[in-house]
This record gives sequence, C-alpha cells and structure tokens, in this order.
Amino acid sequence: MKALMSVGAVVGVIASLVLLGMIFGVIPASTVHLVEGYMPMQMLFELSIFVAGFTGLSYMLNSMGMTISRFWQGIGFVAFILFYLKSRIYPPIPFSVRAMYGTVTMVAVFMWMSSNEEDWKKFRQPILNVMDGLTPLHKGLRTFFLIAIPLGLWGFAYQSFVPQGAGADVDEPIELRTVHPAPPASTKVHGKTFVLQTSQNPYRANPEGKYDQEYSNKLIVEQSMGRLMQENANPWDPKAEGYLKNVREGGEIFFQNCHFCHGDNLNGRGLHAFAFNPIPANFTDPGTIAQLQETFIFWRVSKGGLGLPREGFPWASVMPPWEQHLTTDEIWKVVLFEYWHTGYYPRTWD
Amino acid sequence: MGRQNGKKIWSIMALCAMIGFLLLPVATSLNALASGGGEAPPAPAVKAEGEKKDEAKVEKGRDVYYKTEGIVSGAPAPKTVDGPRDYPRYNFESRVLLWFANQQHLYYGSFVLAVPIFCMIIEFMGVVTKDKAMAKKYDQLAYDFIKISLTAYSLTAILGGILIFTFLTLYPAFFGYLSSIFRPVMHIYALMFVAESGTLYIYYYGWDKMKEGFLKWIHLSMSVILNVIGTLLMMLANSWIGFMMSPAGVDEQGRFLGNIWHVIHTALWNPLNVHRILGNMAFGGGVVAAYAAYRFLSAKTDEERAHYDWMGYIAMALAVAFLIPLPFAGYWLMREVYAYRQQMGITLMGGLLAWLFIIQATMIGILFLSTNYYLWQALGRMRGAEKYQRYIKYLVFVLVCGFLIFITPHTMVMTPAELKAMGGQQHPVLGNYGVMSAKNGGINVIITTTVLSFIWYMRGNKEPMVPWKNFGNIFMGAFFGFAYVNIIWLAVYGYYIPANVRVGLSVPQVATTLSCLFFMTALNGFMLKGAKQMGPIEWGKISVRSQYAIIMLATAFTWMMGLMGYIRSSVRLFWHVNEIMRDNSPWAYTHTVGFAANMISFNVLFFWISILFVFWLGTLGAKKVPVNVKAHVPGRVPEPAHGH
Repeated sequence: MKALMSVGAVVGVIASLVLLGMIFGVIPASTVHLVEGYMPMQMLFELSIFVAGFTGLSYMLNSMGMTISRFWQGIGFVAFILFYLKSRIYPPIPFSVRAMYGTVTMVAVFMWMSSNEEDWKKFRQPILNVMDGLTPLHKGLRTFFLIAIPLGLWGFAYQSFVPQGAGADVDEPIELRTVHPAPPASTKVHGKTFVLQTSQNPYRANPEGKYDQEYSNKLIVEQSMGRLMQENANPWDPKAEGYLKNVREGGEIFFQNCHFCHGDNLNGRGLHAFAFNPIPANFTDPGTIAQLQETFIFWRVSKGGLGLPREGFPWASVMPPWEQHLTTDEIWKVVLFEYWHTGYYPRTWD
Repeated sequence: MGRQNGKKIWSIMALCAMIGFLLLPVATSLNALASGGGEAPPAPAVKAEGEKKDEAKVEKGRDVYYKTEGIVSGAPAPKTVDGPRDYPRYNFESRVLLWFANQQHLYYGSFVLAVPIFCMIIEFMGVVTKDKAMAKKYDQLAYDFIKISLTAYSLTAILGGILIFTFLTLYPAFFGYLSSIFRPVMHIYALMFVAESGTLYIYYYGWDKMKEGFLKWIHLSMSVILNVIGTLLMMLANSWIGFMMSPAGVDEQGRFLGNIWHVIHTALWNPLNVHRILGNMAFGGGVVAAYAAYRFLSAKTDEERAHYDWMGYIAMALAVAFLIPLPFAGYWLMREVYAYRQQMGITLMGGLLAWLFIIQATMIGILFLSTNYYLWQALGRMRGAEKYQRYIKYLVFVLVCGFLIFITPHTMVMTPAELKAMGGQQHPVLGNYGVMSAKNGGINVIITTTVLSFIWYMRGNKEPMVPWKNFGNIFMGAFFGFAYVNIIWLAVYGYYIPANVRVGLSVPQVATTLSCLFFMTALNGFMLKGAKQMGPIEWGKISVRSQYAIIMLATAFTWMMGLMGYIRSSVRLFWHVNEIMRDNSPWAYTHTVGFAANMISFNVLFFWISILFVFWLGTLGAKKVPVNVKAHVPGRVPEPAHGH
C-alpha cells in the first residue's frame, strides 16, 4: 500500500510541478499539450492523475507526521480545480460553465468531507473555532471575515458593472443563442417543397442509382486526425464516377463559394471568418453537422441567416440564402461534400 | 368457524365485485366501439340503391399518422379566434391558471397512483416474511401509507374537478374538440374512477377485517386490482396528451376517422406510459421518504427516530429502484419524439428548450448525488462499515466526473467577448461533452456508481463467509471495472459512427449498467448468505444530513416533474393539437426560461405546503407510539427483510 501511495505522491508532485511550470512559463506551455481529437478524455485523465497524486501525497505527508487538515484539503482541492479550469484548458472556458463546474466541485468536496462523522467534525472544526472566536487569532479572523465577505461581494458586484478593457467598453450582455434552431416541417426551394423528415439527398446513391447511405459511408474520409482518404475513393480521380464524382462537384462549389468563411479544412476558420462573431460553423466539430439530418443542412444552406426562425434570435448569422445563387442540385452536392470531407455521417432514424 | 367461512364468502364476493368493476368499462368500451368506433361501422340493412347513395355520401379521410383510410365520423378541429367565444378569460393569463391547476392535479394524481403500488409491495413483503414482528411492522407501514394516500385521493378528485372547470371556462373550444375526439372513452374514464374509489375504500376500511389467513391474500389481491385500475386510468389520461403531441386517428382537418384505438395509440403513448409509471413511483417514494424525514427530524424519542429512519429508508429504496430505469425510459421517449418529428426533437434538446434540458440534467444529477450521499450516511449507523467509508472520496470523484459531463451544455451561455475568445460557438474540449454520446456515458457512470454504493451499503455490517468469497470479490471488482471501461469506451466510440448506430449504442451501455445492478446485487446476496454480522443496524442513529438529503431528493423530484411537464407541453409551441388545431390565444408563445422556472417553483411550493397539510391530517388519528419491535423480539434490532 505504502509503495503504491509513494508512486502516487511522486506522480502528484511531478504533475503539479509540470502544470505550474507550463502556466507560469518556466517550461514551454506545449510540454504536455492537449491533443486535438482526444482533448475531452485527456482532461478527465489528467484530473484522475491529479486526484491519485494528491491522495498519495496526502498519505505520505500523513505518514511523515505532516498531516494536512481536512479543512485545508477541501479548500485546496476546490482551489486547484478552479485554477486548472481557468489556466489549463484552452481556449478559455466561458464563466457560466466555470461557475457550474466550480459549484459542483464545492458540492463534491462537501460530500467527501461530510461522508462520515469523524471527517465532518475535522472539517468544520476550524470554521466553528473562528465563529466561536476561541482565541484572539480566531477573534481577529472572525472580524476580518465579517468585513471582508460583504466587501468582497460588493467588489464582485461592482466589477461586473464597471466597463472593462482598455477602451472601457461595457460588455455586451449574455446571449442565449440557439445554435441549432428547430427547422420547419418542410421548406420550399426553387418552387419545390421538401419535407425535411423524409427528403433524401439524391446524390447519395450507389452505382445502381439508389439512395444508399451504407455505400457512401464506406467512401468518406477517415475520421480523427489527418482525415485521410480511403483507398480507391479519391473524388479527384478523373475516372471517379457516381457518388465520388458528385462529391468532387460539391467540393468545387464549396471552394468557389463557401470556403472563404467556412475554411478550406471546413473548420470554420476561413479567410473572412474572424470578421464575424461568432465565427462560421465548424463542420469538423462533432456538435454540428454530425448531429443533424442532411435535410437540416439543406434547409440552412438554402435559406441562410435570413431564413432563421424566431428562436434563432439574435440571428447572428450572415450566411446568404444560397438558393439565390445555387441550384437545388448544387446545394445537395455541396452538402454531400461537407459530410464526405469531415468524415461524418448524416443523422438518420432507421 | 362458521363466522370465518362467512368472512371468506364475503371476501370472495368482494373480489368478484372488484373484478366486475374492472370489467365493466371493458364491456362498455366494446359497446362504444360498436357504436362510435371501429374501422367499419355495421351498415344498416337497406336496399341496394340506398346503399349506393349512402356510399356516395360517405366521406373518407386519411389518418395523419397511420396513413390508413377511415370514414369521417367527426367535425374538423375548430379554427379558433382570439375572443370571448373561444378564449373567454379573467383579467389574468389563462394559460398560467391552467398550468397551475394541471400541475397540482398531476402531482396529487401521481402520488395517489404510486402509493397503492408501494402498499402492495410492502403488504406483500409483510405477508411473505417469516419474522412475525417484521410482518406486523410491514403491515403497519403499508397501512400508514394508504392512510396518507386516502386524504390525498380526495384532494386529487377535487383538483381534477377544478381542472375540468378551468378547461371549460377558459378553453371551451379546445376542450370541446378534445372531448369530441375521446367521446367513446370519456365515460369509461369516469367509470374507472368509480371503480378505483370503490376498491380503494374497501381496501382501506377492510384492512383490519381481512388481516389474517386467506382473507389477507384476498386483501392483497385487491391491492393488485386497485393498481391495475389506477394504471389503466393513467394510461387513458396519457392518451390525451399523447394525442395533443402526436395526433393520430384523425385526418388533416382533425376529423375523427372512427377508430378510437388509433386515437389512443399514438406515436408517443407507450413511451409516455412507461415514463410516467416509473416517474410516479419515484416521485411517490420521494414524497413518502420526505414525510419520514420530516417526522425523523421532529421526533422526540429514540423509538420514533428508529421507526421513521426505517420508514424513510424503505420509501427511499423504492424511489431509487424506480429512479434507476427512469433515465432510460426518458431516453426512449426522446428517441420516439425525434423519430416522430425531427423538428420537435431539436426544439427540445438542441433549440428553444435546450437550456431547460440542462436544468433537467442538473436535477437528475442531484437526485443521484442525494441518493449516494444518503447511502454513505447510512453506512454510519452500522458497525463495521468504516472500511468502506475511506473509499467514498473515489466514488465522489467518479460520480462528479459523470455529473459534470452530463450537465455540460451544448449551447454555452457566454458574452460576445467570451464567444470571440473561444474562437467559435463550440468549445473544442467541453463541446464534446455537450452531445448525447458523452451524456449517455455520463449518466451510465453515475448509475453504475450508485449501484456500487448500494452494494457497499448492503455489505456495511457484514463479512462474507462463503468459501469462495475471495473469488467473488475479485469477480465483482473486475465486473465493475469492465463495466466502467465498456460504458466509457462506447461513449467515445459513439463519435465515430453514424447517428442511427450511435443511438443504438445506448442499448449495450444500459445493458452494462443493468447487468451491474442485477447480477452484482444477486452475487452480493449470495456472498452474504450466512455472513458474519459485525453489528446490528442501529436504526435512528443516522446523521441529520441524511434526512436533509432525502428532503432534497423529494424536492428535486417535484421540481423536475414540474419542469419536464412544462417542457413536454411547450414543445407543441403554438399548437393545441400538434399540426391539427392551432392555439390562437394571446398566450401561444413560449415563456422565458426565468418565468417558467419561477412558475415551476411556485407549483412546487404550493404542492409541498398542501401535502404538509395532508400529512398533518394523517397524524391526527395516528397512534402516538409506533410499533415497537423490540418489545416482541427481545434483543433483536428491527430491520427490513434480508437485513436491508
């Protein structure tokens, strides 16, 4: 047990030093970088390493007679999580999400500390000591908190209203933006009505000309890093026919019209992307086209930002209604290309 | 002897009468189908020419859902206009009044449907248990439950009346249309209410008269009938909301096509039924547990504390037993909603109402955290449980990781400056937690951890003595380890496969979780056979924090029920009946998240104040001292069957 805890303690110390070193610039910030495609699991893994490390550290300090009290263990853990979320995760996490995570962490620490009577007594004793003012130090602390807590709250409230930044601009208010507003049941494009629940991309067809998602799924690029093309599935091969030829044509339309904003890697970082806030949709993110039916994309491309429904407020999209510039067939082909290039499958219900 | 036989005959007659009550609606429904329903009503025997004329007159319509043809047998859905004819009103928002009446009726309705099911289970446990003292204790508990339910039953009926009056007064056109569609089954519903009331009263008042021998079994079987009627009642009521969300059995104009089964059996009816039964049970258990917690906290003696600690434990165990499958039933319901209308599914989970779903996820998380916390606190009343307590921190970590993933929103709330700093709407790390694949993993991790907590609790004061205990422990540890790996792996794998396959991945994930629940609980039971007792369960010696956890659990149930009811109703947007009858009142808009939350909180507060009154009424006729098992079995501390 002791050996295991010693390993844990060593891991904990090294991990903490590396983290601090990266954040304060002692070692390169990319020493342990977040790997694209694996970041969500990496974050959980890192947190697990830290928890194991802290456990080992606490055990070793305890066995050396340098016990960290339950109170400071709890406070320290909450502080660590807040620090980790603020400083380790990039791009920065919005405050609302950090506040949620912080609250849950505090609840977790409460559950841990009060899971048995002995720990609960140890945890609350310093708080009770200060509240009871047992010694002059405790009395002083009590007075300090009596003043500092309301003052801190006032300061927090004041800061949230004061204009921030060099230009002293007042922050724009929070927007509860609906990223994927519910589509209509049907949409009319170039005089033809498409029922979104049942319509299909006419170019997602097998060599026999029948709609076949399984066939097309085998020909899309590989997911995750690289997005490599499958063998014998190169749409730019002059001999490519059928589905692959349509993908190529969709790609040509994409690079003539869409890539300026959505980027040549379809990740929403095109030439003009950063003129907009929010930047255009990132199709490589698993939360965008991978979650939607192909007809949803067809509707959004056809109608653009102007066609967003009421719940799409504040309609923060400058995408033109492409039905005014492209034919129906061209729109279907570009949708086909987007799924092919990202390696995602359109949502279906069968 | 003669008197005993007489009792038996009476009880059998009572049982036959109950069955008669149950069959009566079925008989009348056959009649209703013959006259107003059925695919092809019998044509009158007339001359051939007359038949031709009739055929010419018969208008056929196409079912909007089943796509079958049927003879138009009703008027089209009214096209309402804003005004006193279709939307008469007080000087107040009619929708809010209806919301309040509906929600209160639903709270009480759920409670009185759930409690008799508990009574049935607890009474059954009392009948089959060999320990006479425990049998008596269970019987008393079941009786206490039904007594609370009886007062609530009257309130349910009163609230039902208020609800109908509210509908008739404020939404006459809509209510008229709905009752015209459900005309063939409306009176069946009313008759079933009569049957339910009759059965309930005989069940309650006959408790003492039918407490032993064969009569007890008759009494127990009456509870089964009571619950069958209650469940059918609920399913009928569900068919109305199912019809409003996903209409069937009518044509595009909303004209009834003569097949009442199509109207009842809509796309969402069955998922709604399953979800509501489980939800009612979890909610009912939570409310009873909160009652016990309240009595525990206000108890003056150790005996009272012991009794209410035990009562709270039983109610909580029942609530959790139904809470565990509840997310899966909810998942099925949402899947069917998506399959029925993509538009509806996106409005719910990705669009307008998505933020309410985040609140819902938070509430679900709170339910499971409270449950685990209660179980950990309960370890404190057992000698020998210390060996598990030191590992609780790891369970907390795993639970919280699952919880954080479960509550991470897909659409994050942020200022435009934060949006810019993030470089897009989707966060590259946390955005992945915002989609269903990760959330399925999160909730399954939470539930599996809850199962683990329960197994620790079962083992708290016991030491397995079976010869194969080491093998059993290793097997159990490996099983849980593989379960976690499987759940997390499937959650990650879900990002790399088509959505329709991904949706199907929830099946192996759920199967993994349920395998842990059933197999590991059973294995644990076998391992604990003849186990060495480290000490008795000291009922009443539990921290007060545990009781607050129970109250938290019950409040979270109530709040979540209000929230989910609101979400389910709001998803129709500006339709009374989806795509059939438009809501043209001035309130056909979706409330803001803040207003909805305040309204739900008000409903929750009102329910808890009124149910406290019901509890108080229940105590008026109660014995002051609960059954003291110690007096019957010296040296034995009361505990439920199997020690838990």
